[in-house]
Amino acid sequence: MSNFQVIKKWLISMGSPPLFFMWASKFLSWFYPISFLLLLTGLIWGIGFAPSDYKQGEVYRIIFIHVPSAMLGQSVYLMMAIFGSICLIWRAKLAGIFLRSAAPLGASFTLIALVSGAVWGKPTWGTWWVWDARLTSTLILFFLYAGIIGLYSSIDNKQKGDRAASLISVVGVIIIPIIKKSVDWWQTLHQPSTFTITSAPSMTSDMYLPLLICVIGFYSILLSMLLNRLRAEILIRERNTSWVQKYLNNQVRE
Amino acid sequence: MSKRSTLPDWFMLILKRDLSLSFKKVATFIIPLVFFLIVITLFPLALGTENSLLSSLSSGVIWVAALLASLLAVESIFNEDYRDGTLDHLLLSGEPIFILVLAKVLAHWLVTGAPLLLASLVSTLFLFLPEGLLFPLLISLLMGTFLLSLLGALGAALTIGRTAILSAVIVLPLSIPILILGVAVIAAALSDESFFSYLYFLGAMLALGIPGLCIATTEALFINYE
Repeated sequence: MSNFQVIKKWLISMGSPPLFFMWASKFLSWFYPISFLLLLTGLIWGIGFAPSDYKQGEVYRIIFIHVPSAMLGQSVYLMMAIFGSICLIWRAKLAGIFLRSAAPLGASFTLIALVSGAVWGKPTWGTWWVWDARLTSTLILFFLYAGIIGLYSSIDNKQKGDRAASLISVVGVIIIPIIKKSVDWWQTLHQPSTFTITSAPSMTSDMYLPLLICVIGFYSILLSMLLNRLRAEILIRERNTSWVQKYLNNQVRE
Repeated sequence: MSKRSTLPDWFMLILKRDLSLSFKKVATFIIPLVFFLIVITLFPLALGTENSLLSSLSSGVIWVAALLASLLAVESIFNEDYRDGTLDHLLLSGEPIFILVLAKVLAHWLVTGAPLLLASLVSTLFLFLPEGLLFPLLISLLMGTFLLSLLGALGAALTIGRTAILSAVIVLPLSIPILILGVAVIAAALSDESFFSYLYFLGAMLALGIPGLCIATTEALFINYE
């Protein structure tokens, strides 16, 4: 029980912008370089040294970017929904700031996944785009992100914008499974899917390991960028408080 | 006003008020109808007038036009009350806002969504809908447009006093399952399969959507009034 209380106390203290800001700065000072290193290792190993595929040749190497960014696109939305419900239920200030910092990142990773998928599809499938169930639901996910970004950026009052965006991301995460299911149905109704990306060939460890490192690297670079954006947003929102003034004065002096 | 009204009273009060207000302005139910018919007319102009082509596209075209018309119509559901301050009083009245939202959406659907069903009858003649698809089309539109009105009300509450196109961008991706299921009903009927499984699914979405979307819309209204 005491363990639980310690964690609870820490979580509540993290809800305070100055404490969170200081913690994030300290954390990023060592985590940012590590995440860069991980990402570089994964990409260089995957793109430069992993063996080429016996069927697809060198084109397959785009999965080292495509797969991690597609994963991030989906998990950022899930995170946004979790923090959105925290923002709606407990009105935690930081949860709303989190939402605002995460949405453009999620949107851009989804876009990277779409574009890299198209680039891969051209030589392998012979076409940039297929109305495949997965591609379609990724595209819809991108539209959902666009709606959220459009909503909060059109509301001048920042707290109101946070809560409106939280509400729509929570509603979205409930509807997303229905969208996915219905897009699958639509596929089977209209045409048999000509290409399946789901039945991936079992990879050798030479390909699997760099992919794993890429995924971990993408996740950690996402965390770093997210924390950095959070720090910037906190500074903007709290610009009139004394601790920000003090912090900025110290920065200038150093 | 010391005695609190019961829930049905409150529901009927809002429903009657909104209905009588919209019957005073003929434009409220004429404009979505005309919009729907204009969109339907655009398709033969763009695609050519070949009967077989239009006939094969007809159910999809009617569904897309109905989706756009009902979302655009519901966009203004709170605007009038917001502008003249009625909404402030309603929210402060202490009565359940959940019921208010449901009554307003129902009233709105009765004057804009239900006439769309009649207009779709006319549009089946324009687009040469294949024989035997009339019943599945109407039943799927009947269930689908009410769900769309609920979704549109959420978008309208979130974007009160802002551009209509923002609400459309937020709500359109969320309305995709409704479109797919609505068209699936017709596709199943076309290939002589039983389409009731899709209707059941639409019904399940209605059953979840009525409470769920009304709660979300209520929350959205309060966010705007902090």
